Amino acid sequence: MSKENIVEVQNVSKTYKKRRQKEFVQAVNNISFDVKKGEILGLLGPNGAGKTSTIKMICGLLIPDEGTILINGRDNQKNRLETLRDISAVLEGNRNLYWRLTVRENLEYFAGNRGMDKKGVAQTIDELLVQFRLRDKENELVNRLSRGMQQKLAIAVAMMADSQVLLLDEPTLGLDVETGYEVRELLKEIVNNQERTIIISSHDMAVVEDLCDRVIIINHGRIVTDDHVDNLLRLFAVRSYTITLGQLLSDQQLQLIKKAFPHLEYIPDTTQAIIKVDFDQDHEIYDLFELLKMNKTPVESIEQGTINFEQVFMRIIKGEEAHALV
Amino acid sequence: MRWFSLLRVNLQKEYIELVRYLPNTIATVFTFYIIFLGMFLGIQVVGDPSTQELNTQYVIVNNLFWFLTMSTINKVGWQVTNESMRGTLEQLSMSPMGIWRIMTARLIASTVINFIILIVLLYLSMFTTGQWLNIDLLSILPILLITLVSMYGLGFIIAGISMVLKQVDAFLQILQFILAGLAFVPVTVAPIISYFPFVKGLDLVRSVMIHGVTLSQISVTDYGILIGNAIIYFVLGIAFFMFCERIAMKRGLLAHY
Repeated sequence: MSKENIVEVQNVSKTYKKRRQKEFVQAVNNISFDVKKGEILGLLGPNGAGKTSTIKMICGLLIPDEGTILINGRDNQKNRLETLRDISAVLEGNRNLYWRLTVRENLEYFAGNRGMDKKGVAQTIDELLVQFRLRDKENELVNRLSRGMQQKLAIAVAMMADSQVLLLDEPTLGLDVETGYEVRELLKEIVNNQERTIIISSHDMAVVEDLCDRVIIINHGRIVTDDHVDNLLRLFAVRSYTITLGQLLSDQQLQLIKKAFPHLEYIPDTTQAIIKVDFDQDHEIYDLFELLKMNKTPVESIEQGTINFEQVFMRIIKGEEAHALV
Repeated sequence: MRWFSLLRVNLQKEYIELVRYLPNTIATVFTFYIIFLGMFLGIQVVGDPSTQELNTQYVIVNNLFWFLTMSTINKVGWQVTNESMRGTLEQLSMSPMGIWRIMTARLIASTVINFIILIVLLYLSMFTTGQWLNIDLLSILPILLITLVSMYGLGFIIAGISMVLKQVDAFLQILQFILAGLAFVPVTVAPIISYFPFVKGLDLVRSVMIHGVTLSQISVTDYGILIGNAIIYFVLGIAFFMFCERIAMKRGLLAHY
């Protein structure tokens, strides 16, 4: 084991049997990755990609069919209770709480169930209530809180454990824009002020782009991409171009160009036209210019595209790009 | 210390729910009291007048034990089902204490808190019938404590089944009648049921409360069965629960939402 790695997922697979059917679903298919101490990792993927199964296997709540998961160098199945000391998680947000208990009672209850004594946690609870802006709601029943507050409390409960690794499964799912932003800001504070290792699974690209150092994209149970967020944005941006032409393309020319670049977007105007294109390889830009030169089509401007993380994600998932960190 | 924290928070939770949802608590006491009244009136109307007093005393003790089994064994089944649907069972399963320790703490906490209701129900029943039983705590408590251990074993088995089976509601409904059967059928009618969890304990408690038997008058065989039941059912219960936990973790059943 590398000394820096706190989580090591090695050749892990998981299959579920469909209810009342003989069919099986491969949720996770032979995935391997490491997470370094203090790293913030984003797990992305469409619904059913295998993100939650992966997170639950890291938490020791789901036993893999094959492969091993090491937490701080210890197998999380062979040493389950020991490894659980290093891990806490928010799996279903507000569903992880007791709705008939108050905010403070929930924090005390989960702390006690981890074997933490009352005096020792009292100060931590007070600090968390302030940090999560729940101080004035500490005696409120959870079922009377807003969804956003419940979500914040679920994260506070996980923070209470003071574990080295924090797993957050869809921390902003189902929240309105304003509350989602508030939770995101809160997570930013946690990321910036603490040295915890955090694994976040999310559909919310803003969460991943804002918080994560590195991202793993899972699709159909396999890792499609494992890279740093900045690298992915840079990689896709340099290959995305918008070219303005001084005249319209001829039919023959357009046919040839479309044949060479099937995903190219051609937007004709009365006297001008715009081409939007993403190149898989850097040299392809020259191939396009060769085709434009055929009819001496004037090029008025070339702009390198700006791209956000959501577009990167969509392109990867659509199979337009499969880039893996070497 | 960690065990103490575990027990403390679970006791606290049980107490909070008992007080905060007082109408529910009162309704529970009322339900068991109504059932008791039904049985008491039945004895009055159709019972043999020569054994009326004794039968009433039996019904008081049996009804209390039925309440105790329902509020510990059956309740833990419902709790596991509800918590797996809510999502809190997964959160508890992530405790480094282990879910079986949390369940043990819950069973103990539930028993302690339900004793308050049990005492209310006992005195209410005795007051209604005018039958004042022998409350010899020095004899009752040791028997009861050993009996509770076997009861917890059965509680673990029910919790394990509830964890693995998704549609366990019907089973839990039937279970309450099985528990009633075990609580109400006298050991003399079917001696084999002595080997069922809690039945021997109930029989001995009945002997103390109705016939005034003391600990020194109980035979070695009876102690053997009582203690043997406690050890066997508790160990069996925990082993079965851990087996079910493993199945649940293999199949992803800790959450049913």
